[in-house]
Amino acid sequence: MASLARKNLFQDLPRFLVAQAGIMFAVSLVTIQTGLFNGFMRSTSVLIDHSEADVWVGSEQMRHLELTLPVAYQRLSQAREVEGVARAEALITQGSLWRKSSTAQIVPVRIIGFDPQGELFKPWNIQQGSLNQLQQPYTVMLEQSDLNILNVKQVDEVADVGSYQVNVKGFTRGIRSVTSSNFMFTSLANAHVIANSPVATPRPNPPTPSALTTQDQISYVMVKAEPGQDLQALKQRLEAALPNTRALTKAEMSDMTQAYWSKSTSVGFILGLGAVVGVIVGIVVVGQILYASVSDHLKEFGTLKAMGASDWFIYSVIIEQALWMAVLGYLPGMGLCVALGAWTLETQAVQILISPIAATGVFGLTIVMCVGAAVFAIQKVTQLDPAIVFKT
Amino acid sequence: MQTFSNPQTKPVTSAPEQAIVASEVEMMFASGSQLFPALKKVNLEVLAGDIHFLMGPSGSGKTTLLSIIGGILTPTSGHVTLLGKEITGLSRRQLAKFRLANIGFIFQGFNLFPALTAAENVETTLKLKGIRGKEARAQAEYLLVQVGLADKIKSLPRDLSGGQKQRVAIARALAGKPRLILADEPTAALDSHSGRLVIELLRSLAKDEGCTVLMVTHDPRIVDIADRVVDLEDGMILTPDASRLSTAS
Repeated sequence: MASLARKNLFQDLPRFLVAQAGIMFAVSLVTIQTGLFNGFMRSTSVLIDHSEADVWVGSEQMRHLELTLPVAYQRLSQAREVEGVARAEALITQGSLWRKSSTAQIVPVRIIGFDPQGELFKPWNIQQGSLNQLQQPYTVMLEQSDLNILNVKQVDEVADVGSYQVNVKGFTRGIRSVTSSNFMFTSLANAHVIANSPVATPRPNPPTPSALTTQDQISYVMVKAEPGQDLQALKQRLEAALPNTRALTKAEMSDMTQAYWSKSTSVGFILGLGAVVGVIVGIVVVGQILYASVSDHLKEFGTLKAMGASDWFIYSVIIEQALWMAVLGYLPGMGLCVALGAWTLETQAVQILISPIAATGVFGLTIVMCVGAAVFAIQKVTQLDPAIVFKT
Repeated sequence: MQTFSNPQTKPVTSAPEQAIVASEVEMMFASGSQLFPALKKVNLEVLAGDIHFLMGPSGSGKTTLLSIIGGILTPTSGHVTLLGKEITGLSRRQLAKFRLANIGFIFQGFNLFPALTAAENVETTLKLKGIRGKEARAQAEYLLVQVGLADKIKSLPRDLSGGQKQRVAIARALAGKPRLILADEPTAALDSHSGRLVIELLRSLAKDEGCTVLMVTHDPRIVDIADRVVDLEDGMILTPDASRLSTAS
C-alpha cells in the first residue's frame, strides 16, 4: 500500500526541498556545535590521551597539563622504587618563544621533552624524521600544520628558542591543541636546557646538553603499572612515596584538563547555545512545513475522518511525514558535517569531531525535533470538523 | 436523455427492514446571536436495499440531514437509527468506528486523494478496515473493473475526467462492502450524460451488493433512477412517499 504521508509530502517537491534544507541546516548547526565542542575538549588533552601511562604524577598544585609547578627529577627514580610500578618516565612541558630570524615575528611554542627511547610518551603520526634523531643535541620535531606560523618550510632549518639555536629534524601530523602553543618535541636533556634558558640574544650552543641530575626539574612522572594493579591503590602509594606530589590516572588527568578549559572558557555554554538555536530553527521550519502541508490537505484529512479513520491513523500520517523529513534531512546534513569534519582535521586547529555517539544523539534529536514540530499540525487536524467534506 | 432502465421492483427480501430511521430530528444553527432551525422535526425511513433520493432547493437542509444520518453531525434533538443501531449519543470514536464498518461516502467534489492512484485511493478504505497488501490490491482492482476503469487503475486523479473520478469515488465507497452508501450531490460536478451513467452504475452495484443508498441531489434528470424520493424544503419533509416518481417521469 502506497503511503499517503510520503506521497503527499513528495507531491509538492519544491516545498519539500525547502523543508529539507531547513532541517539540514538545523542538523548541521547542532552537529557542528557539538563537534566543535568535542574537538575542542579532546584537543586540550590530546597529549595525555595519547600517552601509554596509567598514572601521571605531578606537583600537588597542578591544575591542568600545562599549568603546574615543577617537581624534582629525583621523583622519577623514587617512583621506580614504588611497588606495582612497571615503568616510569619523565615529561617536561614548558612554554618558550620561537624566533626564526632576528627580524621574524616571535611565536610561542610549547616545549615537550620526553625520552625518545621511552615507551610511555612519544609523538605519533611522524611524517618526516625519526625519534632517534631527537637524541642529538638541540634537535626538535614540529607539527606540520604549524609550519606556516613558525615560518619553517623543511627539515634542517634552524631557529632560536630561548637562548639556543635548534635544528628542525622532523614533522608530525595532527598533534595540536586549541588551548596550547605550537608543540615542539625534543629529548628531555634538550628540553631541560632550552626551557630553562632565558629568551635572549642567541649565543653559540654549548656542546651536548648534559643528562638531568636529581635536583633538575621536570613536569611529570608518567607511570606504567604492572599488570593487574589497582590504580587507586597505586596512586596512594605513589603520593606517599613522592613528597608534594599528586597522582592521577590517565583518565582523571585528561578529565581535569578538559574540565579546566571547559570552565575557564565557557566554551560549552557558547557552543551549547548555538546548538539550541539550531534545534529551535529546525522546529520552526519543520513545524511550518508540516502545518502548511496539513492545511493544504485539510480536505483529505476531513475525508479520512468522515470515512471513519481513527485519530491515530490520522496522526500516524502526519508523524510519518515528520519522520521522513527527519531522516531525509539528517542524512545529507550529517554527510555535510562529516565532510566538513574531515576537512578541519586536515587544515584547522580545532577539528569538528563527530563521534558515533554524537551522530546517534543528533539523529535522536532530529527525530524528536521533527515529531515535536508535528504537534502543531496534529492540533490543526484534531480540531477539524469532518462536516467540511460536504462543503465545496 | 436516452435510455434509462426504470428501477425494477424492490429486491426480494423476506421482510423489508429499515436501514435508516430518523425520527424527530431537529437541528439548530447559530447565526450571530440568533438560532435558526435547519431541520424541523424531520422523520425519514429508508428501507434496506432501497435507492433513496433526498431532494430540495439549496438551503433546504438536505446536506445537514445527510451529515446527521452519517454520524458526522450531532442533531440538536431527535434520534437516528442505522441498521438497527441507534447512533445518536455514541461517542466521536464509536461513530467513526461505525462509519468505517458500515457507511461508504460519495461527495460532490469527489474528495479523492490527489497524490494517490485510482487503486491506491480505493485501497485507502481497505487499509482503514485492516485489509492490506495483495488482498487489498486485488479487491481495489476488482472494484475498479466493476466501475469500468480497468485501464485507469494506475492513473492519478488529475489524469481522470470528472465522471471517471466519481467512479473511483464509488469504488472507494463500495470497498469493504458497506451496507449503506451516503452520497452528497454526486452528479453536481458532472455533465448530464456522465452524471446519469455514474448514478446508474451506482444503482446497479448497490443492488448487486444489497446496499442501501441515500443520495442528496437536486438534479431532476436522474430522479427516475430512485426507488423513492423525498423532498425537503425549509427543513421539513414535503412528500413522505414515492408519489413524486410518476410525476417526474
